[in-house]
Amino acid sequence: MSERLTSLIRSMPLRLALGLVVLFAAVSLISLAASYVITQRSFEQAIRENLTQDMAGFRAAPSARALAALVEAEARETDPERMILSYLAPTRRHYGNAMIARDDEGYHVVSVAQDSPRLQGRYLALTATLHGGQLTIARSWSEIEALRRVFANILVLSLLPTVLIALWGGLYLARSSARQVRVIGRTLDRLTSGDLEARVGPTRGWSADLAQIGGKIDEMAEAQESSVETLRQVSSDIAHDLKTPIQRVAVHLEDLAGRGDLGPDSRALVERASGELEGIVSVFHALLQIAQIESGSPRARFRPVDLAELCRTFFEIFEPAATESGHRLSLDVPAEGDWQVTGDRTLLGQMLANLIENALRHTPPGTAIEIGLARAGGRICLAVADDGPGVPEAERALVLRRLYRLDRSRTTPGSGLGLNMVQVIATLHDAELALSDNGPGLRVAITF
Amino acid sequence: MKLLVVEDDETTGAYIARGLREEGQTVDLVSDGRAALIQATAGSYDVLIVDRMLPEIDGMTLVKTLRGAGNQTPVLFLTSLGSVDDRISGLNAGGDDYLVKPFAFGELSARVAALARRPQALEQETVLRAGDLEMNLISRKVTRGGVEIDLLPREFSLLEHLLRRKGRVQTRTMLLEAIWDISFDPMTNVVETHVSRLRAKVDKPFETEMIKTIRGAGYRIDA
Repeated sequence: MSERLTSLIRSMPLRLALGLVVLFAAVSLISLAASYVITQRSFEQAIRENLTQDMAGFRAAPSARALAALVEAEARETDPERMILSYLAPTRRHYGNAMIARDDEGYHVVSVAQDSPRLQGRYLALTATLHGGQLTIARSWSEIEALRRVFANILVLSLLPTVLIALWGGLYLARSSARQVRVIGRTLDRLTSGDLEARVGPTRGWSADLAQIGGKIDEMAEAQESSVETLRQVSSDIAHDLKTPIQRVAVHLEDLAGRGDLGPDSRALVERASGELEGIVSVFHALLQIAQIESGSPRARFRPVDLAELCRTFFEIFEPAATESGHRLSLDVPAEGDWQVTGDRTLLGQMLANLIENALRHTPPGTAIEIGLARAGGRICLAVADDGPGVPEAERALVLRRLYRLDRSRTTPGSGLGLNMVQVIATLHDAELALSDNGPGLRVAITF
Repeated sequence: MKLLVVEDDETTGAYIARGLREEGQTVDLVSDGRAALIQATAGSYDVLIVDRMLPEIDGMTLVKTLRGAGNQTPVLFLTSLGSVDDRISGLNAGGDDYLVKPFAFGELSARVAALARRPQALEQETVLRAGDLEMNLISRKVTRGGVEIDLLPREFSLLEHLLRRKGRVQTRTMLLEAIWDISFDPMTNVVETHVSRLRAKVDKPFETEMIKTIRGAGYRIDA
């Protein structure tokens, strides 16, 4: 069974329709059964009364002979299928249109007139002893049996169309609401993936409750879009308002550095100031970028990215720096295989760069750092591992926090945003970030 | 070269204009979008240097309007933001290059020069030359004074990039973008390392230095 059909069958409107059909059918059946029982009883009552009246008529006969003649006369005109008259006179002679016979199989009602005369139907019988003989009159149940057929017909004719219509209506509603639910689902998917322009846009044909939900989602998306837009605007205003003076300071410092009459002390000061300014700019950029990544908007330009190529490029980029600082940087990337993930190459590159830079910065010379790419349970795992001092387990969660730094790292350069940026980028790519003990050292793994 | 600088901050604008004039360029400086639109339409400039955030008409709208009117003058955007989103929206609006504030003057100057004479005709060439250095892009053979030089792939593309832009400075961030395809600065010495490896093969065994270091700016191969 296709998934779509399964979800249709499990959908709310169809379940409701099925429930109502069952309920309606049960109620109809009970009321039909009740009226059948009542009607059957009154029919039976009528038959009994008729039999009593018939009996009373025969009782009026003055003698056995007269009674026999009467029975004979009546019996001639009566179909034994409908009514049976039987009088066993004191003379052991039988009068009537049928009699009770006995054979190997038991007692039967047997017609007198016909040849193979066993009568099959049910009868309601009244027997009395009159003038020394036994008179039995019986009326057929067939009318009551006909009643059962009538009721069965009523049942089929009234219930079947109702069930069919309800089922069809339920299916129709289920399908149209399933369609609406799909529209809502798709819109939510697009919103989640960073496309904040996605809207449900319920139309007049929508069911009221789903239209209401859709409308609320649209309102929410509207609010989110405008708050992201505000954030963007605020970020760009702040950036502009701060970058302009920063640029001016950079200009002044460059002017100062360009002057020939600067003593060595002053020159060193200018250089330190320039370095500090660079630090300010890099923290500022990182904060702006984290804010933007957290808004999810880079998802809109996700493309396939080859992580193997990315690892090789960044290995190459950091290898000279690692050699210079006395670290041993190595690459463990399989030559073959599909290492593509969907993402933003620049951000993934930045993530990898931050991890390598972090390892270079916080481990002593001589430490081995490995960039590794592997498959774990069908997922791609990118890891940067070192055999340096590591991070105490209690602090592993903390180092992911914005601006958090280990005590021993206070003296090393760095913004305290590197790992936080890694986390934010990993989250954007629906990847899991895990810090673990590399025994010794730290292993940071990102599983896509 | 005739350049138009559109920058609303006086200090920055004056700094850019002064630096470019010192290089011998003709520079006009305006401080708002409306004036820039008039100026850019009236005069014929080699490159426009446009701040993205401007009073009256912002930089993006200015460039879109110019492009809409058929003006194809290369544009270098100056921006306070530095995100990829920002870069892409700037390039989509019709910008040709992008520089994030604060920037060093050398970076700006190199990028302006790169925009003014974009290597269009050069793209078809199969043999690049500078002095006695010859680079065959088909056979991937590099010779200097008839002596064959063996280059690694990265060194090859680095040399090709510099040769194609003979006479123009290439900054390290420009090289990072072109050779390693990364649009942020990882703050490593990868460019310096590769240039010095390339130099060891292309320059050291010979008398004259081909690849020049321009202090505070980048690298250049002279024509």
